[in-house]
Amino acid sequence: MTGFHRARRTVYAALTPVLVLGLAACAGFPDTIFGAHSEIGRTEDRLTYLLLILGGLVFVLVEGALIWAIIRFRSRPNATTPQQTHGNTTLEVTWTLIPAVILAVIAVPSVRAIFETQAAAAAGSLQVEVIGHQWWWEFRYPQYKITTANELYLPVGRTASFTLRTEDVIHSFWIPQLAGKRDVVHKERPNYLWFTPDSAGAWNGFCAEYCGTSHSNMRFRVFTVSPEQFAAWVKHQQSGPAFPAAAAAPAQPDTSKKAAPATPATPATTASLASADTSSATYPVDQLPKWTVPETPLPTDEHFDESTIAKADPARGAQIFKTAACIGCHTIQGVSPGIIGPNLTHVGSRTTIGAGLYPNDMKHLTMWIKDARLMKPGSIMPPMGKGLPEAMGAFDDQQIADLAAYLSSLK
Amino acid sequence: MATTVAAPSVTGKAHKYESGIWSWLATTDHKKIGQLYMYTAIAWFVIGGIEALFIRSQLFGPNGRLVSADTYNQLFTMHGTTMIFMAIMPLSAAFFNLLIPLQIGARDVAFPRLNAFSYWVFLAGSVFMNVSWFMHAAPDGGWFAYAPLNTRQFNPGINMDFWVIGLQILGISSLAAGFNFITTIINMRAPGMHFMRMPVFTWAAFVTQFLIVLAFPIITVAVTFLLFDRFFGTTFYEIAAGADPLLWQHLFWLFGHPEVYILILPAFGLVSEVLPTFSRKPLFGYPVMVYSLILIAFLGFGVWAHHMFAVGMGPVADSIFSITTMLIAIPTGVKIFNWLGTMWGGNISFRTSTLFAIGLVGLFTIGGISGVMHSSPPSDLMQTDSYFIVAHFHYVLFGGSMMGLFAGIYYYFPKMTGRVMNERLGKWHFWLTFIGMNLAFFPMHFAGLNGMPRRIWSYDTNQGWDLDNHLSTIGAFIIAFATAIFLYNFLRSRGHGALAGNNPWDAPTIEWSIPSPPPDYNYAKIPTVTSRYPMWSQLGPAPVAPPVPTAGADQPLPTHPSADQLGIPMPTPTIKPLIATLGMVVAFVGLIWHRQIPIILLGGLIFVISLYAWVLTPLEPEH
Repeated sequence: MTGFHRARRTVYAALTPVLVLGLAACAGFPDTIFGAHSEIGRTEDRLTYLLLILGGLVFVLVEGALIWAIIRFRSRPNATTPQQTHGNTTLEVTWTLIPAVILAVIAVPSVRAIFETQAAAAAGSLQVEVIGHQWWWEFRYPQYKITTANELYLPVGRTASFTLRTEDVIHSFWIPQLAGKRDVVHKERPNYLWFTPDSAGAWNGFCAEYCGTSHSNMRFRVFTVSPEQFAAWVKHQQSGPAFPAAAAAPAQPDTSKKAAPATPATPATTASLASADTSSATYPVDQLPKWTVPETPLPTDEHFDESTIAKADPARGAQIFKTAACIGCHTIQGVSPGIIGPNLTHVGSRTTIGAGLYPNDMKHLTMWIKDARLMKPGSIMPPMGKGLPEAMGAFDDQQIADLAAYLSSLK
Repeated sequence: MATTVAAPSVTGKAHKYESGIWSWLATTDHKKIGQLYMYTAIAWFVIGGIEALFIRSQLFGPNGRLVSADTYNQLFTMHGTTMIFMAIMPLSAAFFNLLIPLQIGARDVAFPRLNAFSYWVFLAGSVFMNVSWFMHAAPDGGWFAYAPLNTRQFNPGINMDFWVIGLQILGISSLAAGFNFITTIINMRAPGMHFMRMPVFTWAAFVTQFLIVLAFPIITVAVTFLLFDRFFGTTFYEIAAGADPLLWQHLFWLFGHPEVYILILPAFGLVSEVLPTFSRKPLFGYPVMVYSLILIAFLGFGVWAHHMFAVGMGPVADSIFSITTMLIAIPTGVKIFNWLGTMWGGNISFRTSTLFAIGLVGLFTIGGISGVMHSSPPSDLMQTDSYFIVAHFHYVLFGGSMMGLFAGIYYYFPKMTGRVMNERLGKWHFWLTFIGMNLAFFPMHFAGLNGMPRRIWSYDTNQGWDLDNHLSTIGAFIIAFATAIFLYNFLRSRGHGALAGNNPWDAPTIEWSIPSPPPDYNYAKIPTVTSRYPMWSQLGPAPVAPPVPTAGADQPLPTHPSADQLGIPMPTPTIKPLIATLGMVVAFVGLIWHRQIPIILLGGLIFVISLYAWVLTPLEPEH
């Protein structure tokens, strides 16, 4: 029987990491589905808890019976032939009915929750149009005539009602801390989702349906803010671009701050986004939780002369933007009409670029403009750097730094 | 039935396909074809496993850069496609081939040459799809290949062409085999082998064949639409032309969910053979086990849209599919309980195959429980397309199907080869697989519940997923190590294992009454079956299963009189099914390779001519 004891020890050894993991799951996890911050998320969570408890009960009973059977009925040297039972109708009916009862206990609240969560959203909800693109998210607020990308602002306490469409393939809109996902299926026939955020914070969103090359790089951020902050944000987003086309101001002080040779993205570089005049309108960058600050490594095969960043001039950048291919794809209110890529009117006020892939700072922005395809696999934004294959621009690093300075100034 | 009566003696001359490589290329013997299926499926299992190791290495830590995003997408697409269509299904097919004629007391399947054709088509389809790796263009749309991502507009390369055509070829193989086995089981049972005396594996196989012949036409239609879209400009899935992107999903899952049962029921059948033998008791509740198989298969066609709770079908459809999905848990649960009932009160001997069978009962239960969790749509909206699902179906397909198939391999290896596998290595294989599999897949539950989406090439730091992914990767490599032990044991035991004898486990079913490996004709005299367990006496078996044979490793296998000597007519070996397959492959290569019409026609011509030659040749030698 030593072999048996060895086997049992092995089982215990196998179970230990499971228990460790179980405990670890109790510690804070930023994207966990548990402890959701909306009524819809909590309804879904309640069912998940019910399922976990009942499932855990079944697990313990079945595995317990299995382990008991293995131990109790293992063959012994002097055993006699076991009784040749062929079945037991009472038992078999019982273990057909008990699962049926358990399933009924699950089915009733499930069906109730299906109808509850798919009812029409409350009147007066904040309308948000979500449009999935390969591989970024467009957000429109039709009530306020705002178009933005990859960063969603929602007021706490007001129901947000989403209308979900896709521009190309199927995507799925998921903010694990706020509510369950909903696929983004069709260009004209939308899907719907609503929930009411009940606490302020910064949350991660993901594309949850495989959608091609950069499916993993189709992330977004959600900022739930107070109604006052939301109103300020709306007002700010409705205003024109912060950098008037006519103005030719010298480089912003914050760009010179970045002149220091590149260090990997740190909160310090991203924090420079929060300039004084917009800090009340956008989520305070210095308060961003670390899991919303991307640490995606830079491509090793792209090089940018970072000494140009110190000399970058947003006014020159604005001129370049207006004459470059940029305008064909990007909207900047009053400057350019393109609608293929994200709206850049207030791009400087966002915390990330590339759909949650990189921090929005000069270092990353310049490299993005120079060759987005290296920064994000499959990106349809053509390289802008001089001499690069399939480039749609022929800009040297200084010109790219100017462009980036201009975009950064669009708070 | 020609096979049930001894035919007049024939003075057959030695056939040219009797030995060497030709004996395999031209074989129509179900046992040889079964072995071909098994070797090929194990090879693809290894390749699919290597793909998994790349995936797991890429995901070991945040922001992995081992492979590019495009390569990663090819890897997970091919890992899924390979494991489902080229490893688990053909491994099941290996057992259908090896066991169905033996278990029903027949000398071969109903259509031996069609059976050979099925194998060659499977081999051709699986090789065809994997050739894409050498062109850096492996399929990259996911094994589910959702529209419109699978269309030329969003996937202009040759990648999905390989998938579309490869899957079409594999479907032909499955359908041909399905009809063959249904005919075999209905028509070729030995006298007294009533349906309710049939071994449960054959029952599981029988039900699985119905699933195959009903589900594969659906995917064939779906894939044909896609093939026409990609090659001939139709617009079944072209959104710009007004197509509904959900058409593909409904067709795919209407096939795809029965497919899950196609993958698991044969493993259920194998476990239902192994547990009674090593518990020394009949299967608990045989009729209920049979009815639950049928019920699972029936309900399996009514639950497909639970894969689609997030697509916005509306509350009524969500509720209906939620409840049908819950219902299917009942017959599945009954099977688990009846296996427990089989073990209960028995004298369980822990051979390697017992361990794997118990592994299925314990691990499939976990997959079943998480499956019920997905049946509640509001909760599923949090789970679907997260790593929780990846954890779930690996418990079903690895913890269920693969565990059951491994149990079957260790159990039936002696019948197949005449020798037993090394028991000590087998137990190493089991325990390392068991530990590795739980380490690889259990943490995925937590990763999923903590928000990690599926099919992602890379993830950021600080998401709380690092530990789970570290453990999963370590677990995957432990499984790989265990599989290496298995491969060594499997290959070495073929020639060097201890001699098995007719019935090394004192097993109850009739396939154990004949020599191992069985002669070409299986049964020199067709048996008459009088009970469910003919090899056990009315009073029951010996109290304890015999120990694993250890003697005779250096002795040759016993020999038996040939079919000719006994005057048993057997199908003539023929190479024509292989040639017909090659013709088909030539045509498909012409299609994918710039649509070369002359090559397509040439392939078609070879196919048609070899079919005529095949049909016009009599099955058995004329006498």
